Amino acid sequence: MNNTTETKAKGSFDFGKFISKLGPLVALIVLAIIVSVLNTSFLGINNIMNLLQQVSINALIAFGMQFVILTGGIDLSVGSILALSGAITAQLIVSGVSPIVAFLIGVACGAVFGALNGVLIAYGGAAPFIVTLATMSVYRGLTYVLTNGNPITGAKMNDSFSFQFLGQGYLFGIPFQVYLMVLGFAVFYVLMHKTTFGRKTFAIGGNEKAAFVAGVKTKHILIWIYVIAGFLAAVAGMVLTSQLGSAQPDAGTSYEMDAIAAVVLGGTSLAGGKGKMSGTLIGALIIGVLNNGMNLLGISSFFQQIVKGIVILVAVLLDRKQAKN
Amino acid sequence: MKIEMKGISKSFGKNEVLKDVNFTVKSGEVHALMGENGAGKSTLMNILTGLLDANGGEILVDGQPVKYHDALDAEHSGISFIHQEMNNFGEMTVLENMFLNHEIKNKFGILDMKKMRTQAQKVLQRLDVDIPLNVPIGTLSVGTQQMIEIAKSLMNDTKILILDEPSAALSEKEIDSLFDIIRGLKKQGVGMIYISHRMQEIFEITDQITVMRDGLTVASYATADVDVHQIIKDMVGRDLSDFYPDRNPKYGETRLEVDHFTSKGVFEDVSFSVKAGEILAFSGLMGAGRTEIMRAIFGIDRHDSGTIKINGKEVNLKSPYDSIKHSVGFLTEDRKDEGLILDASIANNIDLPSIDGFVKHGVIDQKADNDFVEMLIKRLTVKATSREDLAGDLSGGNQQKVVLAKWVGSGSQVLILDEPTRGVDVGAKREIYDLMNELTDRGVAIIMISSDLQEVLGFSDRIAVVYEGHLNGEIATKDATQENVMTLATGGKLDE
Amino acid sequence: MKFSKKVVSLLALLSVSALVLTGCGGASIGNSSSNSSKVTKKAKKDVKVGVSLSTLSNPFFVNLKKGIDTEAKKAGTKVETFDAQNDSAKQNNQISDLITKKVDVIIVNPVDSDAIVTSVKKANNAGIPVIACDRGSNGGKLLTTVASDNVLAGKMAGNYLEKLVGKNAKVAELEGTPGADAAVQRGKGFKQAAKGKLDIVTKQSANFDRAKGLSTMQNILQAHSDVKGVFAQNDEMALGAVKAIKSQDIKIVSVDGTPDGLAAVKKGNIDGIVAQEPKAEGRLALQAAYDHYANKKVSKNISSPIHLVKASDYK
Repeated sequence: MNNTTETKAKGSFDFGKFISKLGPLVALIVLAIIVSVLNTSFLGINNIMNLLQQVSINALIAFGMQFVILTGGIDLSVGSILALSGAITAQLIVSGVSPIVAFLIGVACGAVFGALNGVLIAYGGAAPFIVTLATMSVYRGLTYVLTNGNPITGAKMNDSFSFQFLGQGYLFGIPFQVYLMVLGFAVFYVLMHKTTFGRKTFAIGGNEKAAFVAGVKTKHILIWIYVIAGFLAAVAGMVLTSQLGSAQPDAGTSYEMDAIAAVVLGGTSLAGGKGKMSGTLIGALIIGVLNNGMNLLGISSFFQQIVKGIVILVAVLLDRKQAKN
Repeated sequence: MKIEMKGISKSFGKNEVLKDVNFTVKSGEVHALMGENGAGKSTLMNILTGLLDANGGEILVDGQPVKYHDALDAEHSGISFIHQEMNNFGEMTVLENMFLNHEIKNKFGILDMKKMRTQAQKVLQRLDVDIPLNVPIGTLSVGTQQMIEIAKSLMNDTKILILDEPSAALSEKEIDSLFDIIRGLKKQGVGMIYISHRMQEIFEITDQITVMRDGLTVASYATADVDVHQIIKDMVGRDLSDFYPDRNPKYGETRLEVDHFTSKGVFEDVSFSVKAGEILAFSGLMGAGRTEIMRAIFGIDRHDSGTIKINGKEVNLKSPYDSIKHSVGFLTEDRKDEGLILDASIANNIDLPSIDGFVKHGVIDQKADNDFVEMLIKRLTVKATSREDLAGDLSGGNQQKVVLAKWVGSGSQVLILDEPTRGVDVGAKREIYDLMNELTDRGVAIIMISSDLQEVLGFSDRIAVVYEGHLNGEIATKDATQENVMTLATGGKLDE
Repeated sequence: MKFSKKVVSLLALLSVSALVLTGCGGASIGNSSSNSSKVTKKAKKDVKVGVSLSTLSNPFFVNLKKGIDTEAKKAGTKVETFDAQNDSAKQNNQISDLITKKVDVIIVNPVDSDAIVTSVKKANNAGIPVIACDRGSNGGKLLTTVASDNVLAGKMAGNYLEKLVGKNAKVAELEGTPGADAAVQRGKGFKQAAKGKLDIVTKQSANFDRAKGLSTMQNILQAHSDVKGVFAQNDEMALGAVKAIKSQDIKIVSVDGTPDGLAAVKKGNIDGIVAQEPKAEGRLALQAAYDHYANKKVSKNISSPIHLVKASDYK
C-alpha cells in the first residue's frame, strides 16, 4: 500500500504488543498447565530435570541458529556439524587423547566448519540455504568417512569421569548440561542484546545494504555468526556424544529443523532483524514440553509429529497475523 | 462524473488523522491535492478507493452515496489509483504486467494473447505513446513504466485518475510527456487528482488546488487565482519568508580532493575538490553518473584508478567502514533501500555508524548511547513519540532527518548528500537546508547531488555538472543560470 | 577487529567454564536413587508396559509391535509404544519419560547398542526392569535380551547363496545402515560363510531401504555385470534389488521374513530368506515381563526362532 506511514496510528496496539512480547511465554505456560493437569507426574522434580536435559541440546543449537536467522540466513548444516565434531572428539578420546583436550578440539572444529559456511556465504555470495544444504551433506559424509559408518565408542570414553560428566553428570541434583544451556543462554544473551556485535547482527538482518553503508563490516560479522552456530552445534555434539556414550554417525539428523522451530516459535522473524534470545529459549522449552508431555500422555509417536507440526503452524500464523496489524 | 467527499473523518486508535475533510473533483479537471507528509492526503485517497473505511462522512458520486469495498471495486466504478511506488514485475513483459489479474482468456481458459495485444495497443495509442509490448518491463525507464501504469488504468474505462507523486522519479523530458498525456486525458474528460510537492508542476498542470494540513482541508483555490507563497503558507501554517535560506559561507582548508577518479564504463577522469564550509552541488541529467561517482568515493562500489585526499592526506577508502573512519558520511539516494533499517528503531538507526564508540567493558553503554541519540533527535527536530519508534513509521521528511542524524552523529567532516530533499515536504525541506547551513558554518564540507535545478541554484556555492560519466564543467552558483547549467548537463560547453 | 576478539573470548569462556564446572564439588554421574526392592507379584493385566522401538517405518518392527500388542490384548495388559525414529537421543528421552510414568517394565528395541546404555542404567536406578529386543545393550542391567541370532542368520544366508550360485561365484552384498548392529552381525555371519567359497566383488550400503536397494543394485550391475548372486542384509533391500535385476539370472538371498519378502519368495523373485519371526520376538519379550512379575526365573538370553524359506519349496 502506498505511504501507510502517514496513516499509521501510534499507541493503539497495546494488546498486540503485549501478545507479541509475551506470546511465546503464554503459550509455554498454557501448554505446561494442560500437560500437568492431564498427568500429574509432569511437574515432578525428576521429570522437570528430564525435561530440561532433553531441551538443552536443542536449545544450544537454537541459540546459534537464532544469530543466523537474525541476519536473514539459515544454517541447515548444524546437525551434521554436531555429528562430525562429536565423531572427531570420540575418535580422539578412543585414540588416547584426554577427554578435556578432545572436547576443546571438537568445539574448535565445529567453529571452523561454521567459519567455512560463513566464508562461502559472505565472500562466495551464495544463498545461506544452498551453502548450508551443501555443507550439511559434506559434513555428514565426512562423519561417515571418519566413523566408517559405525558408532565410535570404547572403554576410554565410558570410563572417563570428565567425558561422562558432560552429558550424564549431575551437579547439585541438576543435570550438568542444563548448566551449560543456562551458561550458553547468558553468554549469548549478552552478545546479542548488549554488544555492538549483536547490534550489527540485527542491522544486517534489518537491511544489509543500509548496514554496510553505515560502516558495518557485514562480511566479517556474517562469518562470525556462522562460527557461533558451528561452535554451539559442536558443543551440543559434545553433550550428545557423552550422553549416548558413543558418537553416532547419524547423530543430529534433522536437528536443524527443531532448532529453526524453536527460534521461530520464540518470535524471531525468518526475514531477519527481529527477535529475542529469551524467545528462543522459550521456543526450545515449548518443543521440549510438547515432546515430553505427549510421551507422558501416551500419545502415539505418529500423532506426536502431527501435533508438533500444527503447533508450529499455529504459532507462526498467529505471529504473522500480529505482525500484519 | 463528480466525486464529492463530505465531512470525512478517520482515526487510528486515539490518533485522529482526518477531521471533517471536504474534497470535490469532477471530470475534465486536474485537481492538485497538496499538504505536507502526514497531512492526511494518502489516508483520504485510501478511503476514496476503498482501502480504508472512514469513521464518518460520506462519498457522493454524481449525487449518489457510494462505498467501495476495495480497490478493485473502486476501479470497476471508474476510479484508479496510480501509486508512487509501482508494483511491477520486472521480469515479466509489458503486456503481461498490463493484464496482470485481468488476463483475457478464451473459452478453454487459455490466455488470448492476440486480444490482449490489440487492447493494449489501442490504449497506448490513446496516450499517443509507442512502447514495445514484448520486453521485460524492468528494462524500461521509470517514466515509461509510469505511462504503462496510466495506460493500465485507462483499460478499465477510468473516469477519475489519482496520481500520487507521478513525477518523483522522472526526468525533465519524461515529465513533459507525462504532462502531454495529462492534457490529452483532460480533453477526453478524465478527471485527475494530482498529488505532488513540486510547486512548479502544480502551477503548470492543475486547474484547482486543495491544501490539507493536520487532517483538515484548509483551503481550495482555482490555480489561476493563487500563488506559490499562499500555498506554502497554507501547507505549513506559517509564512515561509523565503524558500531557500541564505548562504554566507566561510571557506576553510580543502577537505576532500578527488583526482582522476575512474571506473571504466561508468565514469572517467573525475577530479574535483570541496572546502570546509562549502556546499558543492552535483548537477546533471538522470543517469549521468553522479550517484555512481559518490558511491565509488565512499567505498560502496569499486573504482579502477584515481586518488582521494582527505584534509590533504591520501587515503584508501575500500569500504564505507574506512570512509566513516575518515569522517566521511553518505546520505544515499534511496533512503528505504540503503539509508534506513525500516524495521529498527530510530535510535538503532541513528547510532549505527557510531556504535563502536559506545563500548564500555565490552558491552554497549546504553545510557551514553541513549543520550547521544536523544541529543541528535532534538538537534535535528525528528518528530516522533520516542526514540524507540520504528524508522519505517516516520514520514519521509523525518526519515531523512534520521539518516542525517546518523551522519551528523558519526562526526562527518565531508558529507555527501544524494538528493537530500527528495520526497520531503516543504517544512522539513527548510529544516534540512538550515541544518546544512549550520554544518557548513562548523566547517563541514557538503557535496549535494540534486536533480532539482531550483535547489541547486538556490542553495549551493558551486555547481559541478556531470555529463555522461565525466565532469563537463564547474560554475560558481552566483554566476549560474538555469540555461548554462542545462547547457553543461546536455553536453554543451560554455564560452567564456 | 574488536568484536571478533570479543566473540573468540566469549566462546573460549564458555568452553573453559564448562570444563571448570566439571571439577566442582557436588558432581556426580547419574541421578542415583537406588531402588532394589524385591519383585512384588503382579497379575498380567496389572503390568504396565512401556515400549520404545527404533523405528516403525520398517515392517519388521511393526510386526514386532503387533506381536506384543496381540499378546497384551489377550491378557488385558496396558502397553504404551513409542517410535524413536532411529534417533538415539529421542529414544533416551522416551525412556526417561517412561520412567517418569513409572511403568513396570520397559521393552526397548535399541537404535544403537552403545547409545542405549545410559537409558538402561537410568531405568536400573529407578528399579524398572528392562527387556532388550532384537538388539542388545552394551551396558547396564537387562532382564533379558530377546533376539534372533543375526550372525547365524547371515551364515545361513551365505551358505544357501553358495548352494544356489556355486563355489567361488561372484556375488554382491547389499549392506544395511552403516553401524547398525543387524548390519554388522549379518555381515559378519555372511563373511564367515563366504570365506573361501564365494567371491564378494562389492559391498554397498543401501540403508535397509527398498528404494536405495533398487538404485544401489542398479549401480552395482553397471560396475559388475557378471555377479551371480546377491546377499541383501534385509528383505526391503532385496525387494529393491529384485526390481533392478529384472530378468537376469541372479540369485538373491536375504534375511528378515517380512510379509512382502515372503510373498516375493513365493513368487520366486527372491530365492531365499532367512526368516525371523518378529511377532514371536515380541511375544517372547512380553512373556519375559510376565514371567518376571510372576516371580519366575527369566533366562539372560532368549533366542527368537529363525528358519530358511526357499523359493524352490514353492515350485
